[in-house]
Amino acid sequence: MFKHEWLETNIGLLAVATMLAISIGGLVEIAPLFFIKGTVEKVDGVRPYTPLELRGRDIYQREGCYLCHSQMIRPFRDEALRYGHYSLAAESQYDHPFQWGSKRTGPDLARVGKKYSNEWMVQHLVSPRSLVPQSVMPNFPWLLTTQLDYSDIKERMRALRVTGVPYSLTKAEYDANVKKFGADTANMLDINQAEKNLVKQAQDGNYDGDRSNISEMDALVAYLQVLGTMVDFRKYDDDEFVKYR
Amino acid sequence: MGWIYWFSSYEHTKPLALVILFVTFVLILLYVYGSKKRGEKLESYKNIPFLDDESKPREDKK
Amino acid sequence: MTTTEIGSNEQYNFEVVKKFAFMSVVWGLLGMSVGVYIASELAWPFLNFDIPYITFSRFRPVHTSSVIFGFGGSALFATSYYIVQRTCQTRLVSDFLANFTFWGWTAAIALGDISYTLGYTQSREYAEMEWPIDILIEITWVVYLTVFVGTIMKRKQPHIYVANWFFLSFILATALLHTFNNLAVPISLFSMKSYSLFAGTQDAMTQWWYGHNAVGFFLTAAFLGMMYYFVPKQAGRPIYSYRLSIVHFWALSFLYMWVGAHHLHWTALPDWTSTLAATFSIMLLLPSWGGMINGIMTLSGAWDRLRTDPIMRFLIVALSFYGMSTFEGPLMALKDVNALSHYTDWTVGHVHSGALGWVAMVSFGSLYHMIPRIWNTKVWSEKLIGIHFWLATIGVLLYITAMWISGITQGLMWRAFDQYGNLQYSFVESVAAMHPLYVMRAIGGMFFLSGMLLMFINIMMTIRSGRQAPAYIAAPGNVSAASA
Repeated sequence: MFKHEWLETNIGLLAVATMLAISIGGLVEIAPLFFIKGTVEKVDGVRPYTPLELRGRDIYQREGCYLCHSQMIRPFRDEALRYGHYSLAAESQYDHPFQWGSKRTGPDLARVGKKYSNEWMVQHLVSPRSLVPQSVMPNFPWLLTTQLDYSDIKERMRALRVTGVPYSLTKAEYDANVKKFGADTANMLDINQAEKNLVKQAQDGNYDGDRSNISEMDALVAYLQVLGTMVDFRKYDDDEFVKYR
Repeated sequence: MGWIYWFSSYEHTKPLALVILFVTFVLILLYVYGSKKRGEKLESYKNIPFLDDESKPREDKK
Repeated sequence: MTTTEIGSNEQYNFEVVKKFAFMSVVWGLLGMSVGVYIASELAWPFLNFDIPYITFSRFRPVHTSSVIFGFGGSALFATSYYIVQRTCQTRLVSDFLANFTFWGWTAAIALGDISYTLGYTQSREYAEMEWPIDILIEITWVVYLTVFVGTIMKRKQPHIYVANWFFLSFILATALLHTFNNLAVPISLFSMKSYSLFAGTQDAMTQWWYGHNAVGFFLTAAFLGMMYYFVPKQAGRPIYSYRLSIVHFWALSFLYMWVGAHHLHWTALPDWTSTLAATFSIMLLLPSWGGMINGIMTLSGAWDRLRTDPIMRFLIVALSFYGMSTFEGPLMALKDVNALSHYTDWTVGHVHSGALGWVAMVSFGSLYHMIPRIWNTKVWSEKLIGIHFWLATIGVLLYITAMWISGITQGLMWRAFDQYGNLQYSFVESVAAMHPLYVMRAIGGMFFLSGMLLMFINIMMTIRSGRQAPAYIAAPGNVSAASA
């Protein structure tokens, strides 16, 4: 018969039993999320970030924006009025890592894209209190004066490709992207053209108001301006996504 | 042998897990509190921290 | 002052315990200073000074890592090495490996802190360290497990004392959590930057499975191990019920791992997961309180000790805060409460009532008990411990009261509607309303920090007296004390 005494006097058994006790919870809750199909909704429009947006996202992480800003709108009336449609799992399916956040010292940013002009964004990042006097956000003036380092953009995209983001290296992958996202987006996701694409988007977008160089501000604003804009919710019924919850 | 298929069905994992875990819990309780003799032995381990010490433990008042 | 104490420097490896105990106090002072500074940055934003390295958002992980892993972690290494030796009545299995864990761990925290200020972060809360540091931690942790289990294997006592069970489950769980939450693909072998292997929902679930169990096993189970040794020792009486400790150990180990998803209520995480987490969070109340009751009741019949013994006061008040936080936690895990409390300062207050009230206070009590013993001396000033206790208590109370008020105010302001059904407040109005409370929080932090400073002074003086006056334990045959 089993005796608890075996555990109490045998460190190996105690370790195994403990390991068993602590493993079950994680297994039951995490593993199914990778297999249950409804976890990530079927929705059009969500695509991986362009090279410039990706670098902007890196800077968002580097500066620790996620510590004060969430990117996860909850299905409540006040949040719908303040921020927009509640966030879908599909909208962060290419986010390595996720940036849902846990604290709103500042407002949610999941749908901040296109809500403010580029000029406003730049001014607000350099000096938030010049626009919002009661804000407690730090100034980030160095973003405007630091040149964006994009020498390793291909390595970054290749690493993300390993994790499963559909950035293309080969012709076959490129063709698959054309099918899935259309030719324009597929070009943007082509690792071989990454640097060219990045420069072009920064020049065309002129995010920081200075075409003569590409600053970190260009990248960060490009990222902020795409947040939450990929899915066109006018195409879906109000309760389209309820069944996935 | 048909009953064995009941276990293989995904829907039955929840009640099954509940039963297994609850039984385990009850067994632990029974083991710990079920026998007076064993209980006394278990309680004797509480003096281990005092076995190598400068100050002798006071008598447990219980 | 008896025979066993004399040989203890040879019988036990206290050198590594000393190093960890000392670093724990140093990290505590550093991490809490940074904490007070970033709290002040939120109250007075000019304190960011436009310097990237000390800007709130880069500085905050320096605070969390230094206090959780630096202060808390070093205290756990110190006390677990102390307890496992004394309850197994044997020396650590390897001095070299134990020493390795000290340098590996200390280096990891230091490198982590430096890398955050430079902008290297995985942006996973409480796991911000980038992949090379994660690997260093992984190696250190496996060595820690080896030392701990190896020491238990050569014990002289057939039964493994329950404090060691808690330490064992903490070491195993932390290994599991650290490994899976830090799976990432580096962009090259020569770059600090990496991208996490998982994305979106799965990544969020993994992170908060880690995040909450860092609380559950690092900040709870392990500190319960500490409690199960130092409360009986300081009280001079054995733990209230050994059988209760067995039951609550298994229940706690099993239940904790299920509750992480309560950090993701109402998000894009599927409902079934967060409902499961909420259910288990409620059940977790029972084993948590089992531990609290077991600790507090140990003092039953000797309550007068609370009046006279400041160390005992630290330990018992720590348990009271533990009981309070573990009641507040399940409450906040209810979906309806969470709808209000999530994303607000209430969460920050809850964390600090656990981290300052429970973790820090039980560590203070344990360190004050242990440090004079490993240096073979008396504590420099008992009176200073008493003052530290009051500074710490007032500090915590100010802190959590400020955060309760600000959290609930935020939650209510965000969801308030005017008579026409429009939002009543803009977001920034809620920010402005927080200002006095952020000031109050910073002041609470300053109280707590000044207590920590007193502790640092007290410990430094104690160590000095331990070094200068080895004659204090001038018992015949003690050779090692002079070199200690």
